[in-house]
Amino acid sequence: MTLRAGWGQAAGKVGQSLLTLASVIVLVFLLVRLIPGDPVTTILGSETSAEAEAALRTALHLDVPPVQQFFDYIAGLLHGDLGQSAVQRGDSVSGIIAGALPTTLSIVAVGMLLSTIAGISLGLAAALSPYKAIDLTVRTIVMLLYATPTFLIGLLLTLVFSIQLGWLPAGGWAGSYPDNFPFLVLPGIALSGHLGPIIARTVRQAAIESSQQLYMEAALSRGLSKSALNFRHILPNSVLPIITLLGISFGSLLTGAIIVEAVFGLPGIGSEMTKAVARRDYPVIQGIALMSACAVIVGNLLAELIYPLVDPRARSAS
Amino acid sequence: MTTATLPRPFLAQGWLRALVGTHVSRLVGIVMFGTIVAMCVLVPILSPYSPNDFVNMPFMAPSWAHPFGTDSVGRDIFVRTFAGGSVDLIAAAFTTGFAVIVGTTLGTLAGATKHRWADTILMRIVDAVIAFPLIILLLALVVAVGSDKPWGFAPAGLPAALIALMCVQWAVYARLARGQALALRNADFVVASRVAGLNPFSIVMRHITPGVSRITLAYAIGDVVLVVVILASLPFLGAGVQPPAPEWGSIMYEGRGFLRNAWWITVMPGAVLALTGLSLSFIADSLLDNRR
Repeated sequence: MTLRAGWGQAAGKVGQSLLTLASVIVLVFLLVRLIPGDPVTTILGSETSAEAEAALRTALHLDVPPVQQFFDYIAGLLHGDLGQSAVQRGDSVSGIIAGALPTTLSIVAVGMLLSTIAGISLGLAAALSPYKAIDLTVRTIVMLLYATPTFLIGLLLTLVFSIQLGWLPAGGWAGSYPDNFPFLVLPGIALSGHLGPIIARTVRQAAIESSQQLYMEAALSRGLSKSALNFRHILPNSVLPIITLLGISFGSLLTGAIIVEAVFGLPGIGSEMTKAVARRDYPVIQGIALMSACAVIVGNLLAELIYPLVDPRARSAS
Repeated sequence: MTTATLPRPFLAQGWLRALVGTHVSRLVGIVMFGTIVAMCVLVPILSPYSPNDFVNMPFMAPSWAHPFGTDSVGRDIFVRTFAGGSVDLIAAAFTTGFAVIVGTTLGTLAGATKHRWADTILMRIVDAVIAFPLIILLLALVVAVGSDKPWGFAPAGLPAALIALMCVQWAVYARLARGQALALRNADFVVASRVAGLNPFSIVMRHITPGVSRITLAYAIGDVVLVVVILASLPFLGAGVQPPAPEWGSIMYEGRGFLRNAWWITVMPGAVLALTGLSLSFIADSLLDNRR
């Protein structure tokens, strides 16, 4: 294994991601155009004026031949131009996204942090006594949480911590830090209700697998104590898959964040998406779809690039 | 090296044993899920009220007459919950079934074919579909499909959500099936049947498909949970089943504003939804667990 091979591997992964990105761009372009019927009449409904239709057709850039539409679209993307909102004249889609993104990213960050902490603790607690009472309890809690929709967890948290106990705000946003922090707690917990169980399950599986490896037996026969075994051998091996997991879960975290925003009334991507869906503002929807798919691709790529740096075994695999 | 001790089968033999195997959790899951399905069928038939009847005062707490209480206009939440359950469960079963069949077929063919370019094209599409956060792609498709009128038995808003789900869900199964088919195409028994002169179609149908669908079907049971959760989340984002049709998500969405005074409107259907998810997870987990 040489450093050069590592770079080659990394370049291959970047290339793969760029290819996926290209497919995503084509898919977003086709999204409006592949649907049977005229998107303009679909969006506006049957009762509409000729001017409104013409205006929307221009806004969606549907008044030129399809091939030119595609090249204009690509040229716009290369300039960071995602088009204009079809409803709010003068608002650029990239401006709308840039305004909403920080809120969503802070919820995602809090959710990631909380689910990692909770997931590792629960997963290890379950794995250290597999198929016993603690394990069974943790697995049931994990499955119950996993089966509970994020919005329901959010509503229940509001019911208990805001309405009954009055500890935290039921929703809203201060607009600046550090005043935003209290508004992030319940959304963050609600969001981790989805990823936390997945992490717990993965950590448990990885910990049980690594506890059955031969090096554990070797370490045991060298006379290492139980806690040294757990910390030196089981913990690192069971935490490793989380890197990959966080990478591939980025999409579902965004999904969760969007729902959580709707429940707690936070001004993020989710609120913009809900607004755009209600107004059938297609350029905004397309822009958010493209942006979020890019975020997911980058998240996956980062996880794949970081993993070999942390786990030497993944480096020698090629 | 310690070997895991195998759990003793608690049902010695018979068809129950074949169905349940050695997993207590699978039995629990089947019983729970069966009960919920039975309630979804029986409650709307046996109940004196229909889901949209105004049966009593608004905001009545759970009681014997109304086990889940009444909502903001005095409809019975118990009847609405179980009437809504059939909407969610049938919709989820339908789209997941569609996704399994289409995804498994495409994925198996892509993995087994000797035309590698076809495989490459399909996998590019799959990668692109999977790259989107599910709910965003769904919302985009729901708006593009645009129909918000009822369609046969499907209440307003449901057809668009179903079409969107069918456009998206197959991709995961195509990827799963392709991986499995790629592994199987070089398995000894497949090579042997190729050497024996079996035609490629028969090899795919008789030898590859059974191995592939075992994996995709187990995954599908868990996926039904995901689809039910997604369907129930859509009303919060301005899509999904429109009121007054009962559906778990739309009932909870209506109750969201009354959380302070009438928690039962949201919590009761939510609890049934969570239990449904739990029971299906029990079943799916036991199918994927490698302990026999």
